[in-house]
Amino acid sequence: MFEMQNMTVRFSIGEALRGVSLRIAPGDRLGIVGESGSGKSMLAACLMGMVPDAATIDGTLTIDGTNMTHASEAKWQTIRARRAAMIFQEPMSALNPLRRVGDTVAEPIYVHMGLNKAQARDRVLGLFEEVGIPDPASRFRMFPHELSGGQRQRVLIALALACDPQLLIADEPTTALDANIALKITDLLVHLSQSRNMALVFISHDLSAVARATTDITVMYGGDFVERGVTAEVLSNPMHPYTQGLLAARPSPRAVSRDANGSRRRLPTIPGTVPPLHKMARGCRFAGRCALERGECASVRPLPFGPRRITCHAVSEEMT
Amino acid sequence: MRPLPANFIIGAVLVLLVVGVAALSLVWTPHDPTTLNIRGKFGEPTPLNWLGTDQLGRDIVSQLMAAARNSMTVALVAVLLGGSIGVALGLLASAIGGWVEDIVMRLADLGFAFPALLFAIMLAAVFGPSLTNAVLAIAFINIPIFARVARASANQIWTREYVLAARAAGMNKLAITWDHILPNIAAVVIVQATIEFAVAILAEAALSYLGLGAQPPASSWGRMLSEAQTLMYLAPDLAIYPGLCIVIAVLGFGLLGDGLRDITDPRLARAR
Repeated sequence: MFEMQNMTVRFSIGEALRGVSLRIAPGDRLGIVGESGSGKSMLAACLMGMVPDAATIDGTLTIDGTNMTHASEAKWQTIRARRAAMIFQEPMSALNPLRRVGDTVAEPIYVHMGLNKAQARDRVLGLFEEVGIPDPASRFRMFPHELSGGQRQRVLIALALACDPQLLIADEPTTALDANIALKITDLLVHLSQSRNMALVFISHDLSAVARATTDITVMYGGDFVERGVTAEVLSNPMHPYTQGLLAARPSPRAVSRDANGSRRRLPTIPGTVPPLHKMARGCRFAGRCALERGECASVRPLPFGPRRITCHAVSEEMT
Repeated sequence: MRPLPANFIIGAVLVLLVVGVAALSLVWTPHDPTTLNIRGKFGEPTPLNWLGTDQLGRDIVSQLMAAARNSMTVALVAVLLGGSIGVALGLLASAIGGWVEDIVMRLADLGFAFPALLFAIMLAAVFGPSLTNAVLAIAFINIPIFARVARASANQIWTREYVLAARAAGMNKLAITWDHILPNIAAVVIVQATIEFAVAILAEAALSYLGLGAQPPASSWGRMLSEAQTLMYLAPDLAIYPGLCIVIAVLGFGLLGDGLRDITDPRLARAR
């Protein structure tokens, strides 16, 4: 059980996470969506104890009842791999080009499980099989450049599963893969989460992948959770203006079709860009890009409201 | 495959020549390089003494061969010793960071502040002239060079995603350094070692020339040079041969190092 209370990660230029709270139980499948710079990866770093040294952390993080908020690197090494593991966006750069992939996966098994070479090898071959790598024995001896993108991502999933973690964080696991492989990797992650009763945190800006992989969803913007809920409900009926904008900007066959006058429809976008941390509004982080913006938005921070815990002045007012 | 650069090929041929001669001298030289033959001093080149004899009647070819062996040994031990310590310090600085990195790098700067050869001469002079001290002195001037190279390359590797993945898999910094950082900086370190090998040969020759390196009767190109110096007008060839040997060895390792760098550095490869 991972529990985050009021977590804030502050850099000298601003806050990358603004007092977010989260609870992850075994078997949960939680999607995190948001633009680049919304704090998705910082959230993952928090859960892995890998926040850069330059940041200061407030709030509490407990893992199975142990307070890990300011735990030492040595203590985190007992958590990583065995409690929480992570896979990355770019499977090529996340594998050491000079090591055989089998050795890379075997490494945490030696270190954390105290197995000998033959036992570790057997375990790696078993993991390769579990993540769907054909002919594990010959793949074991291959170098990353000899594998396809999908195979590499499977190797990284095997690496993450090496010590049977309770939580697997997938940080944009499908972004670097083509659509077909991305679908297979997404399904594999769901399958592993179910068969191992392992929690899955699926970080992505691919909304269809999140819809497929997760039961719950959290939408992030500027280090805040702006909307949360059951994935299907949030995606079919978004309430926060940011979530609505995100969904509207999704390309679909309709988006390139023609309207009544025969001219091409343009893909709707959210106006503006994510401002750098030090230029974010003090109140609602979405102020400045929001269609529903009013006077108080830029200066007064909206409080989470309703079952979806939406942070938006306009929406909360409408609902009350 | 891309053709090998010319400097690599020329360097490799020269290095093979020098190393081959040095290796051969372990098992065979035309004569014993230290046997005197006063009656046959300043001998002309003959089928028996290919390059003649020196002022004490010793065979020059045999001396040059034995000197090559000494020179290689000194350079090898000095670069290996200085290189290992330097790389270890560089990796340590890179892995720990913070004040440890600052201290190691400021000490390295201190090492750079002295001209390397002058520093080696000072060390050898302080600890007394001997081949061992010459080796230690040359090793010492190599430490900051390798520390700096290792740290700079290691810092780059630490930012790679596979290092992040290894950390996420619960590896400690020592294991990451050994498994991921060291293999990935090896190419840079090997290139540097080849270049420093040339510098070490030159340093050994210089120390021996000043009487701070190889002591008689051990053969050394530098010592042969200094002995020939007083006889420049009488027998100029005595100075030419060891000088030529030094040029070949230093040029060979220098070119080999440059060539290796051209091969291993993808930025230069693209420009070619």
